[in-house]
Amino acid sequence: MINVEHLYKSFGELDVLKDVSQHIEKGEKVVVVGPSGSGKSTFLRCLNLLETPTDGTITFDGVDITHAKGKELDKIRRKMGMVFQHFNLFPHLTIRKNITLAPVKLGLMSKDEANKQAEALLARVGLSDKADAYPGMLSGGQKQRIAIARSLAMNPDVMLFDEPTSALDPEMVGEVLELMKQLALDGMTMVVVTHEMGFAREVASRVLFMADGQILEENPPKEFFENPKNPRLKDFLSKVI
Amino acid sequence: MNFFEKLAAEFKQNFIEQNRWQYIVKGLGTTMIITLLALLLGLVLGFIVAIVRSTHDKTCLGKKGGHILLRIGNGISKFYLTVIRGTPSTVQLLIIYFVIFGSVKVDKIFCAVMAFGINSGAYVAEIVRSGIMSIDNGQTEAGRSLGLNFRQTMTSIIMPQAFKNVLPALGNEFIVLLKETSISGYIALNDLTRAGTLIQSQTYSAFMPLIAVALIYLVIVIGLTRLLTLLERRLAKNDKR
Repeated sequence: MINVEHLYKSFGELDVLKDVSQHIEKGEKVVVVGPSGSGKSTFLRCLNLLETPTDGTITFDGVDITHAKGKELDKIRRKMGMVFQHFNLFPHLTIRKNITLAPVKLGLMSKDEANKQAEALLARVGLSDKADAYPGMLSGGQKQRIAIARSLAMNPDVMLFDEPTSALDPEMVGEVLELMKQLALDGMTMVVVTHEMGFAREVASRVLFMADGQILEENPPKEFFENPKNPRLKDFLSKVI
Repeated sequence: MNFFEKLAAEFKQNFIEQNRWQYIVKGLGTTMIITLLALLLGLVLGFIVAIVRSTHDKTCLGKKGGHILLRIGNGISKFYLTVIRGTPSTVQLLIIYFVIFGSVKVDKIFCAVMAFGINSGAYVAEIVRSGIMSIDNGQTEAGRSLGLNFRQTMTSIIMPQAFKNVLPALGNEFIVLLKETSISGYIALNDLTRAGTLIQSQTYSAFMPLIAVALIYLVIVIGLTRLLTLLERRLAKNDKR
């Protein structure tokens, strides 16, 4: 579904990604772990071109999107849901409007259809009673669940998660991970950057270890956690588990 | 004659005799027309310049690329801001009336609207720009990742929030603009202030006409402040926590 070949990204002098290649199949749940500053988030943000790659190609559903611009790019982004570390809900809109804004603005649904869908999505994330609340009234965990619902409203083919639980209080991490597990069970293609090793172990079909802008190891979770080969990964796992 | 009788006589002389109150009414009308039209022109100019400048700063700054039109637009905007903010509005008004439209016969009110609108636009631009820059980049990213284009993200996500943030500063600018129009007399426009001095020149009394004019400005400003407070409160409804 997504094919990344020889991806490079630098910010000025700083080389963040150095020759990253990756193939993500439909239905796969790829979890990316690694130390801070290893380029995990940048890799994820390159996938929907929030960052422009310096070099390399990204193919989505067989189409080279590396240099997509304008309408073409907007169309691709509709198909890739993105969930951010800091939720980025629209604080001036009600929860319902947060969810319906994009489908209605883009002319994909009428207002009524979008509202109906929003209700279904809110039920799915367990926040039906919050439709008329504003983001400021919600807890972090609730905000993130709404952010996921907002992405789902576009019926994306793949969901990108950029450290979705890193900004949450510990007691709220569970509810978000639970929702993500549900999504995974429903067959959603997911790319997740996270520090939640338990989630990686349980949900991932493949775990990638990134350090210094490269993917140093990738394996199914069992192999990845029980039999790490790269010394950097061994070191990393010994620190986080 | 006691004090109050004297006052009443003065009032009669300045406003009732020869229907001099009509100067005030007509002047007030002129002031209001100039202010309102200049306000609109200033808002339009200001928003355009602010969007050009902030888009340029967000996308081109520190990078080699950047759209060529955006760079030209930013250059023109900067020149406009420097010239307008660097010269007195009285001089600008005189130049527009006597130099730019010096050889063609145009309506004085039109000249005043142009002068005050162009002047106000420069200040509005920087106020609005500060509002746009105050909105977290994550908001733009969230909008774009949903597939909204730049314009849609700007109009439905960034601008409503930015506008709310800058409303007090914008209100301030409107008040300044209203009072600034009192220099319209320089191009022989009979605005509210000139109405006062006109009466003064006929009756040789300064107190009544000038205090009356001052009071009218004060009342308008108080009304305007009330309106802005109301608007601010309405927009603040999503701040509830």
